[in-house]
Amino acid sequence: MFASVEDVQERLGKQSYICDKNIATVVFLASRLEKPVLVEGPAGVGKTELAKVVAAATGRNLIRLQCYEGLDEAKALYEWEYSKQLLYTQILKEKLSEVMAGATTLRDAADRVASEDSVFFSSRFIVPRPLLRSITSDEPTLLLIDEVDKSDPEFEAFLLEVLSDFQVSVPEIGTFDAKNKPIVFLTSNDAREMSDALKRRCLHLYIDFPNAELEQRILETKVPGVGQRLAEELIGVMQRLRKLDLKKTPSISETLDWARALLALNATSLDEGLVRDTLNVILKYEGDIKKAHAELGRLIARKAEDEAAKPAAAPGAAPAAAPAKKGALH
Amino acid sequence: MQQKLIDFTNLLRKSGVRVSVAETLDAFAALDEVSIGDREVFKDALRTTMVKRGDDIAAFEHLFDLYWSAFYDGLRDAFDKAAEGAGGGKLDLEALMRQIQEGLEKLPGAAPDLSELAKALLTQDLSKLEQLIREAAQQAGVGRIENMLQVGFFTRRTMEQMDAEGAGRQLRDLARQLRDAGMPDAQVDALMELVERYLDALRQSVRQFTERELQQRNYDYMEKFRRESLLEKSFYNLTEDEIRMMREVVTRLAHRIKNILSIRKRRLRKGKLDLHTMLRRNMAHGGVPFEVIYKHRKKDRPKLVILCDVSSSVANVSRFMLQFVYQLQECFNKIRSYVFVSELGEVTQLFKDLEVSQAIDKALDGGDVINVYTRSNFGHAFHDFWRNHLAAIDNKTTVLVLGDARNNYNDPRAWCLREVHNKAKNVVWLNPESPSAWGFGDSVMDKYRPYVDVAEECRNLRQLSRIVDKLVL
Repeated sequence: MFASVEDVQERLGKQSYICDKNIATVVFLASRLEKPVLVEGPAGVGKTELAKVVAAATGRNLIRLQCYEGLDEAKALYEWEYSKQLLYTQILKEKLSEVMAGATTLRDAADRVASEDSVFFSSRFIVPRPLLRSITSDEPTLLLIDEVDKSDPEFEAFLLEVLSDFQVSVPEIGTFDAKNKPIVFLTSNDAREMSDALKRRCLHLYIDFPNAELEQRILETKVPGVGQRLAEELIGVMQRLRKLDLKKTPSISETLDWARALLALNATSLDEGLVRDTLNVILKYEGDIKKAHAELGRLIARKAEDEAAKPAAAPGAAPAAAPAKKGALH
Repeated sequence: MQQKLIDFTNLLRKSGVRVSVAETLDAFAALDEVSIGDREVFKDALRTTMVKRGDDIAAFEHLFDLYWSAFYDGLRDAFDKAAEGAGGGKLDLEALMRQIQEGLEKLPGAAPDLSELAKALLTQDLSKLEQLIREAAQQAGVGRIENMLQVGFFTRRTMEQMDAEGAGRQLRDLARQLRDAGMPDAQVDALMELVERYLDALRQSVRQFTERELQQRNYDYMEKFRRESLLEKSFYNLTEDEIRMMREVVTRLAHRIKNILSIRKRRLRKGKLDLHTMLRRNMAHGGVPFEVIYKHRKKDRPKLVILCDVSSSVANVSRFMLQFVYQLQECFNKIRSYVFVSELGEVTQLFKDLEVSQAIDKALDGGDVINVYTRSNFGHAFHDFWRNHLAAIDNKTTVLVLGDARNNYNDPRAWCLREVHNKAKNVVWLNPESPSAWGFGDSVMDKYRPYVDVAEECRNLRQLSRIVDKLVL
């Protein structure tokens, strides 16, 4: 477990996840207070990734439950294995008649069968689904309930027991208590407001788009080959793009994709043509791309001012990269 | 600290952030784990345990700064300045305090009895001072402050409540006693001056505190006012800024309705037994039907035809209605939209090509298909629709008319609407005027009313969301 907030930052950093103090504080508190964390924020800012790296940093197994509309308890909690139960009944038929051999009355026979109830309703016939699996696991686990907003409101009710008491009740058997309390992360894209009951049980973390400095650090960690100049220019454009009124605002994952794409094209600095040709890596809607094209002049112009302020070294590889870029994209 | 945190919780609640008791307890537990010394961490710990909605974060940040830092920082500033300014800026505060200490020991008899406030002032115990001011302010009822004019009054009452004058008197007495005990004049004078300056700083701080209290109350009031009123505010009179905010609200409302609809639809789905699928699904159980499968009854999504009046008198209303409807696009099978003033033109393609808000701007401008600078003529528009576009309607189509039915005394040609009504599933008319005005002046709403299944007043978002709910079911 984590010793302090700084420790969280450092250990997540080792997993190449750069986070600010806000995120680190919440992760630290979650591990100390043993409370689930509800992570909200726009798509692509690293909500799911956070859960993964915390699992890696703490050496826990990651158990992931992907939510979708129509997800029910049979898929999330546990399911009885009917066919196996049937099979066992068939095979054990003879044994059953042995058990009932001495019975004289119907009531007596029924009582005897009833006394063997626990054979058929035992954990032998339960198929554990992610929630139950994380509770009963012998190893400490990290449970990731991804995109919980996509699930139905009724599903939240199943979650409550797991989240507040770390236990799962199976009516026929009883209650499974957690052997090791899992760390729980829930992520949400805010498609639906979660119920107050659920929120009350969780710590809340809102991850927003990072500021330029943090984004640069993330970029340099995740895409090591990217030169400092390219990184700065790229992030400048991204930060300005986010200020436009776009249908889907590009987030960190798009920044990283773009950087990788530019690296593949051997680019060391951005120019208008290059941006124009690679915009489809970061913008996913036709309308957005058009809008960005219209604003392209402004994005580049702003950059030119920066350049005027500090004369940069002439990019050696840029001209050579131009033909390759055309080939790669069309 | 405990009391302070509970006060802060109350403040959050007053500002519309919902904080439960359990969450307050979490906050306490969290503060045990982290060092309070680090401001950022402290703030994050409070936020993560108490604020669970993205929308509330702004309010929290504002209140946090107001509550936790602004006052203490102000207090420190005031007293630092007071100490610096004393003795023409050449006063050695530490030396003076040491001498006072020595003087006090030499004092004949028992040391004079100082009130808590006097002690706190003399030793510059700022956190004690803060606590004293808070308590006094509470007793003086500063929480009830309502406007700027009361700041002076409550400041005075708070000062009286903690007996600032008494503390001042005690400190002056102390200085005199020290002089009698043989302390050099220069230092006694310095002490006297310092006491006056401290009292001044105290008055300033209390005033600051009162003003801040007023700000806190106002913040909550203004926020609430803004949210409430946007829902209620008539579309007719919106400023540019409000239009922008309105767009967000519209999107959120549309989002919510979509959610409600998806739940309702699911409930509707159960139908007849589906033998085929059930047998196959239950093969694993030896053909014994453990799981019962029903045929899903298909619920048709309605088709929608929108006839939208874009004359300048209703342009704002039309804007939001269109936006709302298009946010809900996936609830409909097909939408065709027409705009009219006098002529009628189809703008469906516009909505396909452009992004919603741009398309709406363009549509309200006539969308290059009609002339918007004429006088409204509903009769002409309906006739146009009946003659050229009646094929757009079938028995699954809902026709939605947005307009005020102010016909400028033209022929209403209500029979056109009757024909439309006969062919369509239903006709819905949203009118920004209230029903009492329908049929008066040049309004021909009464002529159209018999051929309209649902006619509703729709002037603000709350009414709009209620109607759209009806529309899609």
